[in-house]
Amino acid sequence: MSEVPVYLDYAASAPVHPDVAAVMAECLGPSGLHANPSSTHAAGRRASQAIEQARESVAALIGASAGEIVFTSGATESDNLSILGAARAGRERGRHVVTSRTEHRAVIDACRQLEREGFAVTWLTPGADGRVAPAQVHEALRDDTLLVAVMHANNELGVVNDVASIGAGCRDRGVLLHVDAAQSVGRIPVNVADLNADLVAFTAHKLGGPKGIGALWLRERPRPAIQPLQFGGGHERGLRSGTLATHQIVGFGLACRIAAADLPAEELRVRALRERLWSRLEGAGHVRRNGGPGPSVPGILNLRFAGVEGESLALELEGKVQASSGSACSSASAEPSYVLRALGLSDVAAQSSLRLSLGRQTSVADVDRAAASILAAVARLRSLAPAAAIERLA
Amino acid sequence: MSAAAAYSSRVQELFAAPRRAGSLPDGPGERLAGETAAVERGAWVRFEARVQGGLITAVRFRAWGCPHVLAACEFVAGTLEGQALADLGDLDARWLAEALEVPPEKLGRLLVIEDALRALAAAGGEAH
Repeated sequence: MSEVPVYLDYAASAPVHPDVAAVMAECLGPSGLHANPSSTHAAGRRASQAIEQARESVAALIGASAGEIVFTSGATESDNLSILGAARAGRERGRHVVTSRTEHRAVIDACRQLEREGFAVTWLTPGADGRVAPAQVHEALRDDTLLVAVMHANNELGVVNDVASIGAGCRDRGVLLHVDAAQSVGRIPVNVADLNADLVAFTAHKLGGPKGIGALWLRERPRPAIQPLQFGGGHERGLRSGTLATHQIVGFGLACRIAAADLPAEELRVRALRERLWSRLEGAGHVRRNGGPGPSVPGILNLRFAGVEGESLALELEGKVQASSGSACSSASAEPSYVLRALGLSDVAAQSSLRLSLGRQTSVADVDRAAASILAAVARLRSLAPAAAIERLA
Repeated sequence: MSAAAAYSSRVQELFAAPRRAGSLPDGPGERLAGETAAVERGAWVRFEARVQGGLITAVRFRAWGCPHVLAACEFVAGTLEGQALADLGDLDARWLAEALEVPPEKLGRLLVIEDALRALAAAGGEAH
């Protein structure tokens, strides 16, 4: 019998925790929380209570209060609501936005939309280590800068930006800071009080919760002005109308409680597994890690093997290792990763890169099996390549 | 979509088990080589051929590129054995694309194979 492929794509999405799946199934069952949480009858109140409990759990994971959490459909919607909503609400105060070229597409595309609406956007290029330096951001601020959008942890490289320092400079200038924390919440300690941010986006499915539910944290004092993107019912304090998805929210809440309880041990365990994987893969020779040393989320390892073409590597690993040759969100396109290109990698180097991301269910045996498969794949493809290719394509 | 779904079953077979990858072992006859490195076009291909009495008796290849490139090299290498050296430059990348169901956007990569074969033919011409 063939073995199940090793799943190393946690940065794209993590498996739903079994306890989360169970509690969601219970919600959807015959005696579950089927009523509309806005209804005033007993069943509605039960659903509403479950949602508010979950809101407490989601808020607790990031050191926030429940009243600061707005539920959305995921980090993409949170990013859009935050960036478009804050910019449109504040357009009379300023029409300049600062962001980086290595943000998630949800942020990049929202900022492009702002450009179409007449805003000026400064696109920062991170350093070779993949991080946006606080000084870069602060130097880009203008008198009319309204908003800065910088991610906490990069989804391809795993490197963590010094958001606190970025935010301190923004606050001094009265500029709002939006942080996409989809890759960091639940994986490293995140406390919004320390981030100096005004708006933080994150999602359930990266931390063992279901897809289709996420959150936007809005600082309570001073509360940033946000224009909603959708209307009808005034849910979530008028910022996100639409009947709340009780089962999704309950699942998100439990996933956050589990993540909060396990985070200290899991962070260390996953980081050690990542380094074990790296030490195994280093044995291939002519392998480079993308993204510099320094603060990072524990589970992401992005690397490139000289003399190995990315598409062939992906096919060679089919059925053995499930990973990503870039951001899963953009892998439908054959274009090389814009994140890696922004770091100065050539198209060939970017296409040859592999993102391996580990998480809760990853074991030592998984890491060793994945490493063996990858080493065998690299060795075979190199054995097929012209002798000079390894040196020239390093 | 799985990675494999992007390739025809023939391409998958040839990619998985190329019989003519590597270098030619020592043997009788003249040994020729032709190589084209076009990394920016997505392929780097080298063919080696053994020629006896004007006929190609053995072919080996080495290639860097996507599965279509590797499979196409194996396919081409198989068709060359037994051919006259004089016919080497006749390969048409469009025929190759059709035979292996290679998508049009990758035709440029197959042209690199065509170029490597021309280089091999030129090496044969120089030798004579």
